[in-house]
Amino acid sequence: MIIDIKNISCRFGNVQALHNVSLSVQAGEVVVILGPSGSGKSTLLRCINALEEIQSGEINVDGFLIDKEQSQMHDIRLEVGMVFQHFNLFPHLSVLENVNIAQKIVRKRSLEESEKNSIALLNKVGMGDKLEVYPGQLSGGQKQRVAISRALAMNPKIMLFDEVTSALDPEMIGEVLEVMKQLAKDGMTMLVVSHEIGFAKEVADRIVFLDEGEVV
Amino acid sequence: MTWFLEQSEIVTKIFYYLIQVVHWTILISACAYAVALMLGLVFGLGRISQNKYIRAISGAYINVFRGIPLLVLIFFFYFGLGQLINLDRFVAGVIAIGVCYGAYMAEILRAGILAIDYGQHEAAMSLGMTKWQTMRHIILPQTFRIIMPPAGNEFIACLKDSSLVMIIGLREITQAGREYANQSFLDFQTWFVVALLYLIMTVTLSRIVKFLEKKYSVHGYGVKNDN
Repeated sequence: MIIDIKNISCRFGNVQALHNVSLSVQAGEVVVILGPSGSGKSTLLRCINALEEIQSGEINVDGFLIDKEQSQMHDIRLEVGMVFQHFNLFPHLSVLENVNIAQKIVRKRSLEESEKNSIALLNKVGMGDKLEVYPGQLSGGQKQRVAISRALAMNPKIMLFDEVTSALDPEMIGEVLEVMKQLAKDGMTMLVVSHEIGFAKEVADRIVFLDEGEVV
Repeated sequence: MTWFLEQSEIVTKIFYYLIQVVHWTILISACAYAVALMLGLVFGLGRISQNKYIRAISGAYINVFRGIPLLVLIFFFYFGLGQLINLDRFVAGVIAIGVCYGAYMAEILRAGILAIDYGQHEAAMSLGMTKWQTMRHIILPQTFRIIMPPAGNEFIACLKDSSLVMIIGLREITQAGREYANQSFLDFQTWFVVALLYLIMTVTLSRIVKFLEKKYSVHGYGVKNDN
């Protein structure tokens, strides 16, 4: 088991976003999380990346523990890559630099090594011809493909996708889903929060439904 | 016509006289602004720190030095502190202007940091960056682009306010101008030249700020700046 979530609860003020949620994921599994808005899907994903604090329970990610203390959150973030609904690319950096930067300063790779790695990844998602372009000049689908490359560049064992197609025009959803399908085929462990039922049917090994902060 | 020639001769003469001390004005403003930038960075970051003591200290710094007239600060640092330690006029002047503008810069910097979407922090942290790495590589480079216009404004204001240090006898252009006017009784011409010199410097500065804004602008990010 690469992810083992045990009875976690997460609360924002009076809102109980997650209530006693447990979920385990095997290495290489693709789990799609479905559910109505406000059901806690995104919160669950964000908890796995220690972006939200949990009030009780614990999450074990590949041997590292997230609990109330969050002492190992740095190690966990190295294992886990995350892609966001609103891309969150760094607007002051070019496409290539966006993918390079964390490799250089977190993984301590040399510039040559980072660039080689970045260019290979960007080629794979069809963005190899936009290396020197800034995020502001890209379409939503292109931004999201860069964001996926950026997360993959850190060699994570797990990838989290938080409604990555929700902010995209319909004609751009396909290109992003294509990249994710390829990734699933390559054996990446993936947790996907999505409204794309078609994608879920085709790619998911398992579908989890969340409602009002509970797995149903 | 002869009147005009005569006047321009006087003005030129005063101009060459005052330009000899213009480096003091530039030096004081530049040093004071450097101090302000450093203090602004420290206390601006302190203001949004998660540690409540650091937040309180930074808030107090801003409130105190933003709330005291610069002239009083100059008196305080030169005459007040001068009783305890031997402070040079120049150093006292630079510190007084520096701490005052540091308070303004801290607020500008804080606003600049808060203007950046929180998603940028999350993206950087999800890539494994520490808080400091996130600040240094992701947040501050974007902040500096945002605050360049107001920070440039502060530099211009700082340059103008450097005239206040004449009060402690530092011979920059305002003080030199006053001396000249007092000796020659050419008040109108002298203050005209002093004003002109300040104007030349401030207009040049605003040009430089605009140039920097353009140089560091990123395509598709922020407001497009065509002029």
